[in-house]
Amino acid sequence: MSAVAELLEWLARQLVDDPDAVRVEEVERNDATILQLYVAPEDRGKVIGRQGRIARSLRTIVRASSARSRRRVVLEIVE
Amino acid sequence: MTEVSVEATGETVGEAKWSALRDLERKRPGLDKAAVRFQVVSEGERGLLGVGFEPARVVASVEDDGLTGEAARSSEPVGGESEDGARLRELVDRITREVGARCRVAIDESDEELRATCDGPDLGMLIGKHGQTIDAIQYLAGAVLYRGRFEERKRVIVDAAGYRARRQTALEALALRLAEQASATGQRVELEPMTAVERKIVHERLKEDPEIETLSEGTEPNRYVVIVPRNVAV
Repeated sequence: MSAVAELLEWLARQLVDDPDAVRVEEVERNDATILQLYVAPEDRGKVIGRQGRIARSLRTIVRASSARSRRRVVLEIVE
Repeated sequence: MTEVSVEATGETVGEAKWSALRDLERKRPGLDKAAVRFQVVSEGERGLLGVGFEPARVVASVEDDGLTGEAARSSEPVGGESEDGARLRELVDRITREVGARCRVAIDESDEELRATCDGPDLGMLIGKHGQTIDAIQYLAGAVLYRGRFEERKRVIVDAAGYRARRQTALEALALRLAEQASATGQRVELEPMTAVERKIVHERLKEDPEIETLSEGTEPNRYVVIVPRNVAV
């Protein structure tokens, strides 16, 4: 697992009620790496936040950490 | 037996020592703090109004006796830092390392506020375009730290070597100038998109001005402040 995926998982675990259900999968698509974040259905709101602010902050950090690797990294919160 | 040493900087010798100790502790968890020796490389210059400021430099070293086992690990916060302070430090530390902005983190705590100040060579990376990276770190840190503890909540600030103060001064000057322009011309003035933290600075600065009012328009992350003269229709 890449360092950015590990960071994402670590952050997500601290945001939810059920940390054991948190999982990040990395999927390569031709133009980008997709980080798929899985959480328990009841915890989805916790990683999205009011007006999507948590999700947006997570995305900003994921984007910032991929700036060095020159490969686009996208965060997807899986339904 | 070998020796491990780290160099650290701080606003004062005391801060530099403390920061060096933290770095050393990360390398050798559970180290015996009494065995650490400090060498002051530079006392630093306080400077006047930010001019001529030179950080204090300190080298901390300890004999490495391989004390790295789990048993030697101490979970106690260092130097009187509260548990929340230590968690904030770890959060900021991990995120900044990952975004390529390695820096030293100093924690300040008061009754209302928990502040992490970063210092290092890559602060531009940490701040990000329009400050969005540092604001994202700040928002996440607040959410993680006080999850489910709403009553204990303090304001969490993540700063980079005076960035917030500089930005506030610049934004307030801009706000005043554009407010004057709006009342002089009777035309509404739209500002550049800003983060919520920055929009609040503008609203706060102008809320006493009887001639104009301020509002926010647009959707995140392109939400911006509009200054509207009171004597004309919006």
